[in-house]
Amino acid sequence: MRNPPHPPDTVNRVASMSIFKTSTACLALLGSVSAAPLMAQTLEYWVYSDFAQGEALALQQEFVTEFEASHPGVKINISGKGDDDLTAGQIAGAASGTLPDVFMNGLAVGAQLVEVGALANIHDQWMAMPQAYRDQFDKEAIASCSPAPDEMYCLPYTGFGEIMFRNLTVLEEAGIDTSVPPATWDEWYAQMQKVKEAGKFAMPDQTQVFNSVASTYAIVGDLDGWGIDFDSKTTRIQPETYAKVLQLFVDMAPLNSGSSRNDQGTKDLFITNQLAFHVVGPWVDPTYKQAAADSGLKYDFVLVPGMTEGQHGGIKSYEILGVAPGENQQIAWEFAAYVAEKEQMVRWASLLSRYNGNAASMADASVAELPLIARSVEAVKYAIDVMPPYFVGAYPNCYRSIVTDNAAAVADGDMTPEEGAEELVAELNDCLAE
Amino acid sequence: MAADAPPPADLTGYPMFTRRYLPHYGMVLPFLLLFAVFFLYPIGSGLFYSFHDWNAATDPQFVGLKNYQDILGSRDFERAMGNLVFYIVMTVPLGIVVALGLALLVDSFTGAWSNFFRSAFFLPVILPAFLAATIWRWMYAPNFGLVNMVLGWFGYPSVNFLNDTDTMIYALIVVDIWVSAGFNMVILLAGLKGIPADLYEAARLDGASRLQQVRHVTIPMLAPVLFFVVTYGFISALQVFDVPWLLTGSSFTSYGGRRGALLFPVMDMMGRGFGSVRFGQAAAYGFILTAIIVLFTAAMFALRAWRAPK
Repeated sequence: MRNPPHPPDTVNRVASMSIFKTSTACLALLGSVSAAPLMAQTLEYWVYSDFAQGEALALQQEFVTEFEASHPGVKINISGKGDDDLTAGQIAGAASGTLPDVFMNGLAVGAQLVEVGALANIHDQWMAMPQAYRDQFDKEAIASCSPAPDEMYCLPYTGFGEIMFRNLTVLEEAGIDTSVPPATWDEWYAQMQKVKEAGKFAMPDQTQVFNSVASTYAIVGDLDGWGIDFDSKTTRIQPETYAKVLQLFVDMAPLNSGSSRNDQGTKDLFITNQLAFHVVGPWVDPTYKQAAADSGLKYDFVLVPGMTEGQHGGIKSYEILGVAPGENQQIAWEFAAYVAEKEQMVRWASLLSRYNGNAASMADASVAELPLIARSVEAVKYAIDVMPPYFVGAYPNCYRSIVTDNAAAVADGDMTPEEGAEELVAELNDCLAE
Repeated sequence: MAADAPPPADLTGYPMFTRRYLPHYGMVLPFLLLFAVFFLYPIGSGLFYSFHDWNAATDPQFVGLKNYQDILGSRDFERAMGNLVFYIVMTVPLGIVVALGLALLVDSFTGAWSNFFRSAFFLPVILPAFLAATIWRWMYAPNFGLVNMVLGWFGYPSVNFLNDTDTMIYALIVVDIWVSAGFNMVILLAGLKGIPADLYEAARLDGASRLQQVRHVTIPMLAPVLFFVVTYGFISALQVFDVPWLLTGSSFTSYGGRRGALLFPVMDMMGRGFGSVRFGQAAAYGFILTAIIVLFTAAMFALRAWRAPK
């Protein structure tokens, strides 16, 4: 069973302000101590390419300028990299001794980075931070960075809890009441069928991307039945539960657009009122918001329905801030801690309307009421991790391709869901045994 | 400097071989050093790592032939090689036919028109691969893409070219021929320009039609150029990577498109290296591919030597 949602947010604003002041003072103290030797140090800071352009870059540079001002002699260079370039650069950097000092990447890549020695264990530095600072962060996100009691490899940065974007025009044309979102899979599926009858597409093809398969699993199953047991080198997926997931792919097959959730074509279909639902992270919102302004797109975003009322589907994950081992590790840690600290994350969240792993910043009044953040915070409470457990072992590529290929094969009618689930578990265990 | 030139005066006390050839070796030394550092050393270290389990950070562990066995026995290798064989069988002959057709077309024009067509057909060659793939992703897009719009005018339903496993490889072949035809056309055009005009004149006097002239004059005279184009086409096709990678929106952790319909060996090699951090396996994969390319090229040369007039 899915964990029940957390109770409504009860963070006391006065208490949070006091935490903020304490942590800021501690960080300033920490900074002044480390700056004492006045040694010239240059840090290389790698961020995602979309964080290195426009307003996002300007704010990142503001963080850098503030940190440099409080740490004389420290110079920080920002570089923007695409997803694959980040990973390849960090792996190659670990091999050649030219790692960036502070860098971002995805939580799911963490185990590979630990394996090649690209990520420092920051547990001692984390524990040396004031309790008030540590309390700012989402506990589950911190747990994701900490595979063992004395190990911690990242600070959670931006993240997502998956939400369902609804094209209200398409739904209205299909005769669907949009005032109440579907509460269960059955209600949602009935709406999908009406959309198809109206000559539109209900969903993207959820079998094409590992994350969308995980997302569909999250409608049916819970975290206990997802991911890898690295001790026994077996999948946690249970055939009985997974057969129900595969049945959903079969049900959706005649209703989908044939494009993956990440395709530009999917966004185009949504924007041009051809696609009803798009279950994805909040990063598509700027595109849809622009379309709403330019062409009158009518859309909203709601929680992904689960199999029963009160349950919700969806996946979650984080982008992480990591620190490289080496002589710059301490100052690199201080910079990472500064960037991930509440005040900076509030500014970051305000600018991008993006959820992040600093729970105190998410509770801040200036961002908590932003609709996308409010919905994301709610979604994260129900969502399951995409590739758990993090930092324990790397998911082999065969694992992901077997999962997506199996879902596609069942959706194409090559196997029944029951046969597909049995075959999937056997193939995944073979893959893990290698 | 000629080989029999007088040796420098300061080498008079050295043996004859040194006196004669040392300056020559000195002149090629910079190249040899660079060749050794950037070519021979990577090949040697790659071969070394192909017999080791190595993640680029920890000490390599010797595993003998295990990396090769794991690759040859893997599902993805089998699928990638199956795709590759089909792709080569389709792409190489089709690409050459198209390139030869374009070369003959351009050759039939003179002056500005010839330059225009030559430049137009060569344009895809100089287009960056990501741009070419992006253009084609848009053209292939279901419902909105140019290709589907045209199909729609004729009453055909929308085809999901890049996600339907029945059409994906053909969609790739079209893009690949579009990209490579211009390069092959320029090579073949140079060959066409070298064919003496009197051969065509003699053929015409003998009553040969245009098609017969192509068959009995152009193609035999182009044989050496065609051999180069075919061999180069095969070697390029064996290394196909960037276009299918971009068309399927692949990354190091997820590549090859729906059900691996556009999975090719170099993609699999990259994924094993940077996705699974198994550089030993990636190195072994590289050597398997190298062996295939070398064997194939040798077979092509042997075939050519066998068919050459004695």
